[in-house]
Amino acid sequence: MSAPDRAAPLLEVEGLTVDFETRAGPVSAVRGVSFSLAPGEILGIVGESGSGKSVTCRAILGLLPRTARVGGSIRFDGRELTHFSEADWEHMRGRQGAMIFQNPASHLDPLMRIGAQIGESLRHHMDRSGPEARRDAIHLLSSVGIAQPELRVDSFPHELSGGMKQRALIAGAIACRPRLLLADEPTTALDVTVQARILELLRALNRQHELAIILISHDLGVIAEICQRVLVMRDGALVEQGRTRDLVATPKHPYTQLLIASQPGLRLRRPRRTGAHAAGQPLIEVQDLSVSFRAPFRWIDLTKGQVRAPRIRALDGVTFALHPGETLGVVGESGSGKSTVARAIARLLSPSAGRVLFDGADVHQLTGQDLLRFRRSVQMVFQSPYDSLNPRLTVRQTLAEPLRRHRLAPPRKIDERVAELASMVELPQDLLDRTPRQLSGGQCQRVGIARALAMQPRLLIADEVTSSLDVTTQAQILSLLERLRAEAGLTMLYISHDLAVVRALCDRVLVFQAGRIVESGLVDEVLARPQNSYTQTLLRAVPRLALAPQAQFQAEGTAHAPG
Amino acid sequence: MSVLAQHGLSARRAVSSWPGTLVLGLLIIGGWLLLAIFAPLAAPFDPNAVDILHILEAPSLTHWFGTDQAGRDVLSRTIFAARVDLFMCVMGVVPPLLIGVTVGLVSGYLGGVADAVLMRIYDVTVAFPFFVLVLAIVGVLGPGLGNFFIALALVGWVTYARLMRAEVLVIKTSEYALAARSLGFGPLTIMLRHVLPNALSPVLVYAMTDAVLVILAGASLGFLGMGAQPPLAEWGVMIADGQSYVVRAWWICFFPGLAAVTLGMGLALTGDGLARLLR
Repeated sequence: MSAPDRAAPLLEVEGLTVDFETRAGPVSAVRGVSFSLAPGEILGIVGESGSGKSVTCRAILGLLPRTARVGGSIRFDGRELTHFSEADWEHMRGRQGAMIFQNPASHLDPLMRIGAQIGESLRHHMDRSGPEARRDAIHLLSSVGIAQPELRVDSFPHELSGGMKQRALIAGAIACRPRLLLADEPTTALDVTVQARILELLRALNRQHELAIILISHDLGVIAEICQRVLVMRDGALVEQGRTRDLVATPKHPYTQLLIASQPGLRLRRPRRTGAHAAGQPLIEVQDLSVSFRAPFRWIDLTKGQVRAPRIRALDGVTFALHPGETLGVVGESGSGKSTVARAIARLLSPSAGRVLFDGADVHQLTGQDLLRFRRSVQMVFQSPYDSLNPRLTVRQTLAEPLRRHRLAPPRKIDERVAELASMVELPQDLLDRTPRQLSGGQCQRVGIARALAMQPRLLIADEVTSSLDVTTQAQILSLLERLRAEAGLTMLYISHDLAVVRALCDRVLVFQAGRIVESGLVDEVLARPQNSYTQTLLRAVPRLALAPQAQFQAEGTAHAPG
Repeated sequence: MSVLAQHGLSARRAVSSWPGTLVLGLLIIGGWLLLAIFAPLAAPFDPNAVDILHILEAPSLTHWFGTDQAGRDVLSRTIFAARVDLFMCVMGVVPPLLIGVTVGLVSGYLGGVADAVLMRIYDVTVAFPFFVLVLAIVGVLGPGLGNFFIALALVGWVTYARLMRAEVLVIKTSEYALAARSLGFGPLTIMLRHVLPNALSPVLVYAMTDAVLVILAGASLGFLGMGAQPPLAEWGVMIADGQSYVVRAWWICFFPGLAAVTLGMGLALTGDGLARLLR
């Protein structure tokens, strides 16, 4: 924007502190944060979960719970917000400042039509009549790029896709023409191509309406896409701020350096092992594999002459091979069938057609001892760190269970082996007697990996293992996987929607779209010269950090710093 | 008990962090339990000793809760009746809970034919109103506490089964259940070790509510003469016997009624507290 420094700031935050009263005493969430925002500026706040970025944002709109104590000063358009009464806030929210959230599905009322939700704030703040509000809602929907707004205005939230829900939420937020939009991780739950379109929309709104935006994200790549300035937060404090370009090129604070070094695209590329092992017998051969699910039975289908509910194809004639020692990446958006293929290989669901061969034997025909041997050889690590561990078992119990059941260690040696597994995944020994709820996401994921390694598998299937982790934790888990693969000679199937991660880790890649493989080949070739138009779209959508070479060099040096 | 320990009721977790309702509820239940166990010590009179010289006496220093139409001490009878009613709670809740949890676990986890058959039996059972079915079964088998428990087991399991099944359906698709499968564990191990402990919380909470229902059912059946048989003291029977004198001698009905209410409250509070603790 044109010289935001000269204009009077729209928002000025000075020495903001937020403490939460808890039974154990006050907990400090934000400690002395100061920054300012010019009208029409886009400011990014980046940091890990728990860094206080969301709390800062909520303080600006007075959306903190009652247990919060806010100190310092927040001035919006010259008015002090920290002394606001609830009535003042009501006037402020919606009209002056609005907010959008990470999970659009949980911020839309499932029983209210989209038009009514958008119109609600129009009627409340702008005294619009019902028909007027509806007309405005249609206009707003089209301005946020929703096709057929006259139809969509009467849709319920569940009839919209994730990206459309976020657009509808944005339409509601800008309905009363606020001057400030707070966007709290607005694209984290979305696919990368949808994310790119939402970011584009935010930038367009910023240009057209002079809308000032604060964009919160844990992903520096997203911030760098559209923000002029960026704040880096950690443990409730501001560690660095500056123009995005300068900050990314020459980060001063060690934490900012770590954050940049953790960007998956920046990791040291290991030498690819390509072609050399393709000659031998493949470990896994997937032949013309299809998986379909039957849609739930509905009586209405009978009236259409359908006796059985239609089948939904999750996987449609997929063929590929995986050789020992190789790391194969599988990329695609949600719903493309990439998790389905993993589960079919691990025999967690059965295919409707086609075969999966493991060492030449059909996986889905195995019984008895052969099946047990297969289960031991193929292990999976799952996406969500908390859901993949039994909440009632301690880490020690979780790790000891497979050892005991498969007699992988003599009873007296089990404790020893558990400790060994924990050290393999760099999990501190004193965490062994905790339950998953007392661990961080990254620690849970380490337990999940250790549990898989307990079986000494030949193939490790990693299904989006880093997608719910902070970027610095993600980098640690990736280097752990990399190390384990080198040490144990693991073959790996790595499933991810994140192309940068796949580029850093994998030898070959398969691109999935709507249950089919649309492109496959060596990672470097596919990502450098994508042939398929969908792959090209996918690649274009990835937010990228433009870095000076020497910054990249510095970043590598700090990549393995503890965090 | 190990399930409760897993749920966080272990000694390691301080009682002070328990919800207040849970502590209060357990205190009330514990009080009644002590009274029932030490009934011969706590009761001032023999509960079945007839004293025709002192019938229908109002509460006094000798007879705190007064006497009934046969001159029996209402306080002593109320205390001794706690034995019957607490026994009824256990016998009326535990068998249906065991049956229901098993059925819910099996039908939810295995699905397919097992699920279809078990759920049709469920549908048939819920098609009848709870009380009507219990009364019908007791009517066929004959009056008495033993037959009452059989009837409760036959009718009461359905709610547990449905609660359990719903939980199991969610948990069996969780990633830790999938992980257990890919670790090569059999269905029995996964059901007992991974699914059951995580699915049990709502069932345990409901069991407390159900215990209140059982007391009410027992009292109603006693009132109708189909439950505990006189002269055995039971709160429902006592209220039934006293109803014809309720205008002249309110205390015969009032005190056993009060006892049932306090125990019911204790159970309800415990259920509420458990729900918060296990959340």
